[in-house]
Amino acid sequence: MSITKQTIAIVGAGVSMGSAIAKSIAGGNYRLLLFDTNLEQLGSLSEEILQDHPEADFEHMSCPHESSWEADIIILALPHSAEKELAEKIRDVAIQKIVISIANPIDEEFSKLTTRPETSAAEELQQWLPHSKVIKAFNTTFAADFEQPVIDGKQTDAFIAGDDEDALKTVTELLETVGFNPIIAGDLSVSGTLERMQLLLMQLTIENDYNWHAGWKILHN
Amino acid sequence: MFEWLKNSLEEHVSLTKEEWEYFKNYFRPKRMLKRQFLLQEGDVCRELAFVEKGSLYSYTVDSAGNKHVIRFAFEGWWMANLHSFFTEQPTRLNIEILENSELLMLDRKNHDKLLEELPAYERYNRIILQNAYVALQQRVENALGLTAEEKYDRLIEESPAFLNRVPLNLVASYLGVSPETLSRVRGNYNR
Repeated sequence: MSITKQTIAIVGAGVSMGSAIAKSIAGGNYRLLLFDTNLEQLGSLSEEILQDHPEADFEHMSCPHESSWEADIIILALPHSAEKELAEKIRDVAIQKIVISIANPIDEEFSKLTTRPETSAAEELQQWLPHSKVIKAFNTTFAADFEQPVIDGKQTDAFIAGDDEDALKTVTELLETVGFNPIIAGDLSVSGTLERMQLLLMQLTIENDYNWHAGWKILHN
Repeated sequence: MFEWLKNSLEEHVSLTKEEWEYFKNYFRPKRMLKRQFLLQEGDVCRELAFVEKGSLYSYTVDSAGNKHVIRFAFEGWWMANLHSFFTEQPTRLNIEILENSELLMLDRKNHDKLLEELPAYERYNRIILQNAYVALQQRVENALGLTAEEKYDRLIEESPAFLNRVPLNLVASYLGVSPETLSRVRGNYNR
């Protein structure tokens, strides 16, 4: 973990996953730049952050471009359908930066992925941001897991995929800050598998009533 | 966002339009605010910073907590701790933002890649390092052999930007004189 503080922009910080990520890393050695078009949600997020971390270093931002320019790491907490437009807005300031794709491109009925079988949300994002280091992370966990990453006595696994070794290391540290057990699953082409894993977890959650607090765990010797 | 870098390159080498487009996509644009740290003592310096806007300075802190300014960087200048950058050892330096800045960051992997793939960058880099070495040598000579008055004279001659953009306590620290001495020297100078 570096001594110099890293700056993380969360675009879509007001919605459930974005808020959950913000709250869970606010206690780490990070400066958080929070952007959302819904200012009311952003306001209540601030109150919640300050309750748990009075010393937290964070700021509300008025534009995704400014947030991304100041950031070392950009987390896109948006539905995949909104990512292309956003990518165009931040492309020039996201060059060589870690951009975390948390999106699962799942249809409204939770029946299938909306991306073509040979690609994934993360790989599409990489195409839209060709000079950024796209990393797939935070997509195999529900928002509730961030508050309680230990489920049934076991630390939830959190899978990461990406092509840049240093970026994978940085994101691993981020997941450790949250309290997950990070597992590097492979290069960015593994993203499709990770997105399908979450589709399955969602289907099983609905089927078996896991109350949207469930996660994956690899048991091993 | 890349104007100063382009000018800096063109001052020393020539690049085709394609080479420039290829080159600039290796830099991470980073905006930073006054008093933020680009690098703190104990970390490894992993990137070279080029200043597009604003200014920053590097310094050490002694055991009594006093700041010793090593150097400043303004628009068109590079900043890094090369010892840490090349050896991957933790740095003893802090690099802090003096005025709100727009930086372009180049990490070791990309620096090496550009050296290998773009002969113009290799030449540019050689000239920049050569100039940096000469500047460092002059700084050591000035620090060892000049009076406070002479140091101040040289500074005004070489870097007039210092005078209105850098707080006097940092100028004093850079020159290795007390703020009181600097204020006396400035008094004499203005008379």
